Amino acid sequence: MIAVRLVVVTLVALILQLTLFIDIRVFGVVPELLALMAVLAGYYLKPERGLLVAFGIGLLWDIYLSTPIGLNAITFALVAFSVATLQEGLFHDTKLQVIGLVAVGSAACVLGYALLGAMVGQSGLVDVNLLRVSAIVAALNALLTPIVALAMRWALRRPEPLGLG
Amino acid sequence: MAFARIMGRSRRRLLLLLALAAITLLTLDMRGFGPLETVQGFLRDVLHPVASLAATAASPFGNTWNGIFNYGDLEAENRLLKSEIARIKGEGLKSESERGAFKALLEATGITYVADLDTVAATVVRGQVGNFDSHVVTIDRGRRHGIKSGMAVVTGAGMVGRVDRVDSTTATVQLITDPDLRIGVRVISNDEVGLGSAYGDLFRISSGIEYPNARAGVLLPELGSVVVTAALSRYPPGIPIGRVTEVIVDDVLSTVTVDVEFAVDVSDIGYVSVLLAHGVDQVPLLEVVPATAAPVTDGPDVSSGGGTGS
Repeated sequence: MIAVRLVVVTLVALILQLTLFIDIRVFGVVPELLALMAVLAGYYLKPERGLLVAFGIGLLWDIYLSTPIGLNAITFALVAFSVATLQEGLFHDTKLQVIGLVAVGSAACVLGYALLGAMVGQSGLVDVNLLRVSAIVAALNALLTPIVALAMRWALRRPEPLGLG
Repeated sequence: MAFARIMGRSRRRLLLLLALAAITLLTLDMRGFGPLETVQGFLRDVLHPVASLAATAASPFGNTWNGIFNYGDLEAENRLLKSEIARIKGEGLKSESERGAFKALLEATGITYVADLDTVAATVVRGQVGNFDSHVVTIDRGRRHGIKSGMAVVTGAGMVGRVDRVDSTTATVQLITDPDLRIGVRVISNDEVGLGSAYGDLFRISSGIEYPNARAGVLLPELGSVVVTAALSRYPPGIPIGRVTEVIVDDVLSTVTVDVEFAVDVSDIGYVSVLLAHGVDQVPLLEVVPATAAPVTDGPDVSSGGGTGS
């Protein structure tokens, strides 16, 4: 049941990313909903599960991008793994920490995707705008965290006041 | 402590496994592995009806957002378009007489003009996805409508790009503004042929244009001259790319670089046509002879070797 809910929430996020978040741009940048979900998967789930879920979310996003499939998958998995490891050892569940973690994690997803893409020969990913884009994505994703965290907690059946709620 | 170590080890193993899976997928995708593309296409086809319904539902929000935050830009664009229409009206009258002569010349030489090719009209249903795919748009026509990868995409003004990925009912178009899209072109004013790609906001012909030589009759391209796809390009010949804005001559290296202003502004494009024809698919390459082939001698059987490896 959790898997079905997770698929539903991921598909809704994908559809929103492909429709609403094409037009709604802030300084030419859109929020990265799927990266946000991957970070939250790393935060809410056990590291092994978080890794797998983030990898799956990345794969789904890769299908729609012109870059080769697997780039987002591995980036999201690495970021989710880092978040899960950090969360286990260091973090306590407060709103501010989740938002901060999402901001840093989302920026890492954007930077990681661009750098890995450049490493496999994709042009136009690493340029002077990269830092600006990752900073704006971090801010936008942080703003959207309360709503997406709510959806993720519903999908993962996490009624306890974890982080936001 | 031991438990934590075992857990940590299994996590790292899983991460390694996923990294290997991602590398495998990357490699297969970059090599154009058919089944992988089929699966991706199938998933996009399955989600397409939901996505298009959602796009319709979401469009008022997008329009409102653009209305609020981009109103000034829209007003400026409107003014620019009005002056552009006035200029085009004037040019239209001027070119009408030239068109008759051009058609007569085409008939006489038997060259096919772009206007004679079958086309499929399409609507751009999706612009840039995410933050990096800035040179890709999605159109609402696909394999079912006869579209194949590599076909040229145009508007009445000129080249827009090439069809990249084709699904059942949609296709993605790699825009001409993508620096990775290289196009064989011809400069009308001096009939020189070259190879170019996007360079910032311009199209740059960086190779093929000959250094001027009065004795050999090689002239520099004229400013304002029209640049079109060449007969031996991958696309049908004669599709306008734009007009020459700058000719850079390097006397030291004896090279000529030509900057061209795009004929089509692809930043906000709504409708396009796909030309249902290919240009020259591939320039035939010479056969490569493996290094283990018998050495070439001056003997009588040299020509039967099937090539010299050059």
